[in-house]
Amino acid sequence: MNVIVCVKQIPDPALPGELDADNTLKRDGKLILDESDSYGVEMALQLVTAAGGGAVSLVSMAPNEEVSGLRTALAMGAEKAVLVSDPSLAGADALTTAKVLAGAVGKAGDYDLVIAGTESSDGYTGTVPEQIAEVLGLPSVTFAKSIAVDGDTVKVERQTEAGYDEVTCPLPAVVSVTAGVVEPRYPSFKGIMAAKSKPVENVTAADLGIESVSWAQSITAVEDAPAREAGEIIEDDGETFNKIVEYLDNLKVI
Amino acid sequence: MYAWNDEQLMIRDAVREFIEAEIAPKREELEFGDTPPYDLLRKLFATFGMDQMARDRFEKTIAFEKSVEAAVAAGDSPPERESRNEGNDPSLSMIPIIELCRYSPGMVTAMGVSMGLSSAAIMSKGTIAQKERWALDLLTLDKIGAWAITEPNSGSDAFGSMKATARRDGDEYVLNGSKTFITNGPYADTIIFICKLDEGNPPEERKVLSFVLDSGMPGLEQSKPLRKMGMHSSPTGELFLDDVRVGIDRLIGETEDLPSGGRDGAKATFTIERSGVAAMALGMIGKALELCIEYAKERVQFGQPIGEFQLIQDKLARMEVARLNVENLVFRYIETTRDGVSLTLAEASAMKLYSARAAMEVALEAVQIFGGNGYMSEFQVEQIARDAKVLQIYAGTDELQITHIAKDLLRR
Repeated sequence: MNVIVCVKQIPDPALPGELDADNTLKRDGKLILDESDSYGVEMALQLVTAAGGGAVSLVSMAPNEEVSGLRTALAMGAEKAVLVSDPSLAGADALTTAKVLAGAVGKAGDYDLVIAGTESSDGYTGTVPEQIAEVLGLPSVTFAKSIAVDGDTVKVERQTEAGYDEVTCPLPAVVSVTAGVVEPRYPSFKGIMAAKSKPVENVTAADLGIESVSWAQSITAVEDAPAREAGEIIEDDGETFNKIVEYLDNLKVI
Repeated sequence: MYAWNDEQLMIRDAVREFIEAEIAPKREELEFGDTPPYDLLRKLFATFGMDQMARDRFEKTIAFEKSVEAAVAAGDSPPERESRNEGNDPSLSMIPIIELCRYSPGMVTAMGVSMGLSSAAIMSKGTIAQKERWALDLLTLDKIGAWAITEPNSGSDAFGSMKATARRDGDEYVLNGSKTFITNGPYADTIIFICKLDEGNPPEERKVLSFVLDSGMPGLEQSKPLRKMGMHSSPTGELFLDDVRVGIDRLIGETEDLPSGGRDGAKATFTIERSGVAAMALGMIGKALELCIEYAKERVQFGQPIGEFQLIQDKLARMEVARLNVENLVFRYIETTRDGVSLTLAEASAMKLYSARAAMEVALEAVQIFGGNGYMSEFQVEQIARDAKVLQIYAGTDELQITHIAKDLLRR
């Protein structure tokens, strides 16, 4: 069984981010594997192991032929990657990204299943996996909290607000996974040492047959979220609890 | 090398993440709860495939030794060993040591004695059967090993004043004696017991023999952990042997006349052990410095962060000098080993002497920067100060390192 995982390489969320002139996130430094994609990589590795054979391949779109994040996923056990790196794609919107990744999936070889994270930790559009499915003409299942493959179908427990739905869907399909799907492994030392010699195919938009790239979306302005308003300070005079009770009563929470 | 490369950084970050998630939250119970470190160490090994790597290396070594044995038996010339250092990246062992020491140097001691010293005693001098019987499980941490040489009256002068004995009795040996300060002693499954063969001759003329014992053998008693100043996550104990009977299959090498390995063998062991202590010192110094920088920025006295005071700045600057020096020594060791160049005895001893002293100095200054807080167990610098002291004592005291440096220089 072959699984393709869409992974995003993002600026380290632990560092203060900066914006480019077009109000998109600056991505010219080292990029790391988006944590929300490490769940998909782990799920794919487990499905391939359970199937008794096959490979996990990665597809990613990032500037400057950046591979740091891909190396992490390769160290975990993925076999190879297709990386789309093209200056014309800087600031691409969600649909363009989906078209590019769908093209990259076509380059990554035969597959039974495509896995993606529910949403990236930097863009948060949460629409790319479904758009990839549409571009590829495949069924899409979202918010998977568990995935099992049974012959030509995939069984998914789909997280909902109230609990979960059981969904069965024919393969191939695109499934987006939540952070609860599996616990990602640490890469082993051997995996880390092997990662640098695993193949990463660098391609451009033109290589994928995407000739003219343009999108209608632009970010016109970025503003800070409003600061939290200062709370009300009550000096404790020994009877303060009455004021707290009154306050909570007014909110109708007690 | 002057910095970790991308691959080494990836290893460091992964190990650090594991240790901060799995070991750091258990610092209290490891420090003050007598919780043995072995399950956590095994988890570390399994997580990063260190057990499988040890197994692969072991199988390769044994396959080679068997091919040599077969060739000798058939009267052929034995095959040549592949270069010892081929594919050997010492950073793979150094990084976990450095990272563990940021939280729990005792775990490195427990790990090093088990998979390092104890397994090496069997791997360097044992028969193939003995290696397969005991060493593999030690290398993978499936079993815990102890290396029992020190006695109440014999420390740095280990062999001169050793009292533990083996006496021949028919086909067997009868072992007696007590050992102390034995790392992993309370929990060890496999014990390397070093003693002198008593043939009625004067003690100074007796042969030194090493036996492999299993926990639970009749006449063998393992004490509870001893209370000690630091390294609480490394259980240390006493061993008492009262007429423990063993066959020759437990005598390492199965012969009383084992070639000693000479100066080269001892030097190789010293170098590995002493470079390990330098890596430990680097982890402890790095952590102490990080904690101090953070504290110097946050702690306000006389209306300003204490980092603004020049006397505190002096301490931080000295710590950074120590960190850089020890890091350079560790990087140098990694690079020379990777190139197949071994350190001289003077170099290995100098590296250990300097690193241990630097760690102690940095740790005490860290306590000083933290002031009253630093004296409290709640703050980690208190632990680092207690743990650092032993670096100047075990694996050869500072005084012994000095004599080794001088003797090696004067011998040339």
